[in-house]
Amino acid sequence: MQALARLAVESAQRGGASYADARLERIWVEELLVRNGELALASAREECGIGIVVRIGGARGFAALPLSGAGDRAAVFAAVQRALALARALGGDWGRGAEFAPEPGHQGEFRTPLLVDPFQVPLAERIDLLRAAERRLEGRSEVVVREAALSLRREQRWQASSEGLDVQQELTRTGAGLAATASDAGQCERRSYPASFGGDFAGRGWEHVTEMDLCAHGERVRDEAIALCRAPACPAGRRDLILMGNQLMLQIHESVGHPTELDRALGAERDLAGGSFAQPAMLGQLRYASEQVNLLADSTAAGGLDTRGWDDEGVASGSWPIVERGRFVGYHTSREWAGAIGEQRSRGAARAESWYHPPIVRITNLSLLPGSWKLEELIADTQDAVLCDTVKTWSIDQQRVNFQFTTELGWEIKNGARTRLLRSPTYQGRTLDFWNSCDAVCDASHWKLWGVPNCGKGNPMQIAEMSHGAAPARFRRVNFVS
Amino acid sequence: MELLAREQALEIAAALVRESRAEECEATLEHAAERFVRFAGGGPTQNADRSRFEFAVRVRLDGGKGLQEARASVAGSTLQDGRRALARAMELARFAPPNPELLELGGAVQLRESLAAPACLQHAFAEKAAWVRAALQAASAAQLEPAGLIQSSAQARAIVNSRGRAVYGQSSRHSFALSVSGGGGAGTAQASGAGPEHVEHAAVIARAVDKGVRSRDPLPIEPGEYTVVLEPLAVSAVLLFCAYQGFGAREVEERSSFLCGREGQPIWPASLSIVDDPANPLMPALGFDGEGTPRQRTVLVERGRLCGPVTDRQHANKRGQASSGHAQPQPSGLGPMPQNMVVARGEASLQQLVAGVERGLLISQFHYTNAIDPKELLLTGMTRNGTFLIEDGRVGRAVTNLRFTQSLIEALAGLDGVGREAEVAGALFDGEIVTPPLRLARFRFTSATDF
Repeated sequence: MQALARLAVESAQRGGASYADARLERIWVEELLVRNGELALASAREECGIGIVVRIGGARGFAALPLSGAGDRAAVFAAVQRALALARALGGDWGRGAEFAPEPGHQGEFRTPLLVDPFQVPLAERIDLLRAAERRLEGRSEVVVREAALSLRREQRWQASSEGLDVQQELTRTGAGLAATASDAGQCERRSYPASFGGDFAGRGWEHVTEMDLCAHGERVRDEAIALCRAPACPAGRRDLILMGNQLMLQIHESVGHPTELDRALGAERDLAGGSFAQPAMLGQLRYASEQVNLLADSTAAGGLDTRGWDDEGVASGSWPIVERGRFVGYHTSREWAGAIGEQRSRGAARAESWYHPPIVRITNLSLLPGSWKLEELIADTQDAVLCDTVKTWSIDQQRVNFQFTTELGWEIKNGARTRLLRSPTYQGRTLDFWNSCDAVCDASHWKLWGVPNCGKGNPMQIAEMSHGAAPARFRRVNFVS
Repeated sequence: MELLAREQALEIAAALVRESRAEECEATLEHAAERFVRFAGGGPTQNADRSRFEFAVRVRLDGGKGLQEARASVAGSTLQDGRRALARAMELARFAPPNPELLELGGAVQLRESLAAPACLQHAFAEKAAWVRAALQAASAAQLEPAGLIQSSAQARAIVNSRGRAVYGQSSRHSFALSVSGGGGAGTAQASGAGPEHVEHAAVIARAVDKGVRSRDPLPIEPGEYTVVLEPLAVSAVLLFCAYQGFGAREVEERSSFLCGREGQPIWPASLSIVDDPANPLMPALGFDGEGTPRQRTVLVERGRLCGPVTDRQHANKRGQASSGHAQPQPSGLGPMPQNMVVARGEASLQQLVAGVERGLLISQFHYTNAIDPKELLLTGMTRNGTFLIEDGRVGRAVTNLRFTQSLIEALAGLDGVGREAEVAGALFDGEIVTPPLRLARFRFTSATDF
C-alpha cells in the first residue's frame, strides 16, 4: 500500500501538480450493543480508499475513491486525475495562497501502544462481558432501557507526499460503557458510566475496557437513574460549581478547544460551526482563565484518541500550551493556516475523518493540567455549590462565548458536605468569566483522560475523535438556570 | 458523476443472497457520489470529487431458540466484496444471543420509481466556481466576509432479501448556502433541490447579503419573553427535535417521548399540521427505508392533534400496524424516525406575520439547539445570522443574539400565525424539513450576548 501511495504522488506530479499528498487508509469498525436483553447491534464495517490532495498553481483539488486492495492502481490513477481536473477547474487566481507552512518530509512508523489487541479478543468474550454488565441494570421496573455498548476502530494508513513524506500508522481506539434510563414520577432520566453517549473511549487496547469494570457499576447506575426521577430539579440561582472530569472534559472541548482552532478564528468555519471570540490579536495578551488554569494540547499523550505520529498533512505530533497560567498563548493550526498568524510551522492539527474527507483543523488531545486539591478537601472547603457529573446536553453560541450545559446528576453541597441529589442541573455562563472563576483544580490522583468520539465540524460535516484530561475543578458563583 | 445502475446493483445483491446459507439474508448495495466546493473570504477552502460504495449484509441464523442476527459491511461494490461482508456477518451472528421477537424479513413490495436528477450528476466544478466567485464579489461589494458551500450529491441504493424483496432507488441533492458577516452583523441564506435547476443561486446570494447588511450594528437587548416570528431555518432547528426524540415508536414504547400521555390529544392550535412525506417535491428522498419497506406519507400532527409515531416493521408489529417505512438499516442502535417532515403552509406572508406583532423578534436562525428534557421538548439554543426587533408590526433594528430555554410543547401552543411560503431548511445536527415561517406568541430567552 505504501508503494501505491508513492505511485499516486508521482502520478500527480507527472500530471502537473506542484504538490501532492496521498493518504491510503484501511478502516475496521466493530460495534456491539446489548439493549434490554437483546444484542440490538452486532455490526462490523471495513473500508479502504485513497484521498489525494494536489496543488496546481494557486488551487488545490481533493479526490477520494475506494480501493479494492494494494493492486488497485486503476483507482489510484482515477483519483489523481479527478483531483487534477478539480484543481484546474477551480483555477488559481483566487488571491488566497495555497502554499503550506514548511515541514520536513518525515519517514517512519507509528502504532497505538496496546497491551491487549481488542480485535483479538474473542467475540464470545466481548458479548458475554456486555451481557453480564447489562444484566446488572436489571431488577427494577422503573428502568425502561438498559444498554451496554462496545466500539472498536482501527485505521491502517499509508501517507506519502511530494515533499518526501513516507509514513505508516496503525491507530486503534477502544470504547465501552453502560447506561440505564428510568421512567418514574413523571420524569425520564438517564444515568451512564463511565461517560455518556456510548461510554469512554481511548487510544488503547482491551485493557481500557477491563479497567472500567462495567459490571461493578451496574447496580449503582440503575439506582441513580431511578433516584434522579424522584430527585428535585436543581434550583436556579448563583452558587459555586464543582465539575467532575467527565463533564469538565466537554467544557474544555467546547469553550477552549473549538475557539482555539485557527481556521474558526479566521472565519473559515462561519458557514456552519461558527467563528471564535479568541482572535489572533489576543494571543499572548488575553486573560482567558485564572492563574490556576493551564491547558496543554498534546498529540503524543498516552491513550489519547488523537495520539499519532503525524497528522494528515504529514506534520509530526507534539505538545504546546493553549492556556498558560490563565493566559491565551496558542492555537490549533494546520500547514494551510499557520502562516496566517506568522507561525513558521504547523502544530500538526490537520485531520480528516477518513480517506473520504479532506483535512481540516481539529482540536487535538487538550487537557487541563492537575492542580493540588484532593476532591474531599475541595468539597469540605465549599459552602454552597452543586457538584455536576456526566454530560447530559450542551449548547454554545457561534462565537463560543455563551454556553449552557446540563449534566446527568448534581449533588448539592452545603457547608462542606454533600446533602441531596439534584435532577438536571443546568448551568449557563460566558467563556472568559467562567474560566476566570476557576479557583481550584484537583491533583493528579483525580486526573483522567476522557475521550470525545463524536466531534462534528466542517461542511460537509466530518466526525473526529480526541481526548481531554481533567481532574475535578471548582468555579465560583456560576449561574444555574431552570 | 455516474451512479451504480439498477440492473447491476440488483443482480449483484441477488447473487449474494442466493449464495448465503443463512436462514435469512438481506444485501444492501449503496453508491454515493459527491462534488463540493467550500469557500471563505479568500476563495475555496475545501473541495472534493469523491465516491464510495458500501456492500452491507444482514444475516439471521436459526439456532433453535430464535434467530441470531448480525450485520457487516465492506466498502465495495463487487460480489467479492459482498462475500467478505457475508462471511463476517455470519461470524458475528453465530455469537449473537437468539432473539425470539425478530419478525421474518419482509417480502416483495411495489415502489414508486425515484431517479437522481441528471443535471445534478452533471453539475461541473467550473459552474460551482462561477457561483463561488459571484458570492465573493457580492459579499466584498457589501464589505462582508463570506463563507459557504456549493454541493451536488447523489446516491443509489438496492436492497434484496431472501424473502423476495428487491428494491432500488436513486436520489440527488444540489445545494448552495452563503453566510456573510461584518460590522457586527451576519446573515445567511440557503437553497436546495433535486438538481441545480431547482436552486436560485443568485437569490441565495442576494438574500444572504441583504440580511448581512441589515443586521449590522445590532442593539443590545434584554433576555425575557417575546413574541417571535421564526423563519424556516429557526423552525427547523427546533422542530427537528420532534423527529430525533419523540415521533419514533421506540421512544414511545420506552416512555421517553413527548407523545407519551399526549397521543391523540389536540395540544396545539388547528393551524399546525405536520406530515412525514418522502415524495414532497421540495425534498425528494428514496422511496424505501433501511429494510426496503416503502416509505409512507405519515401524518404526525393533524390540525394540532398529535398522531401516532412512525414505525419500522418490528415496532409496527408491536402496535398491531403496518410499518410506515421509517426503519434504520437493521439491526440498529436507533429506532425509527421521520426524515422528511413537512409543515403545512398557512395563508400569511412573512410581512403579514410581522404585521401582527406589537413588540417581538424576527429570528433568522437558531444555532446549536439541544434538548434538556425530551419529554417536555425543553430545548436550548442561540439565535444567529440576523435577529431583528419587531415594533408596531414592522421589522426594525438588528439586536444582539440571545439564548432561549423553552419548551416546544408550550411554545407551539401559542402558534398564532403560519406563513404561506415554505422552503427546505436544515440544522446544525443534520436533517432537513420543509416549513413556512411560524409566529409564536411567547418564547422565552434566558440570557444574552454582546454580539
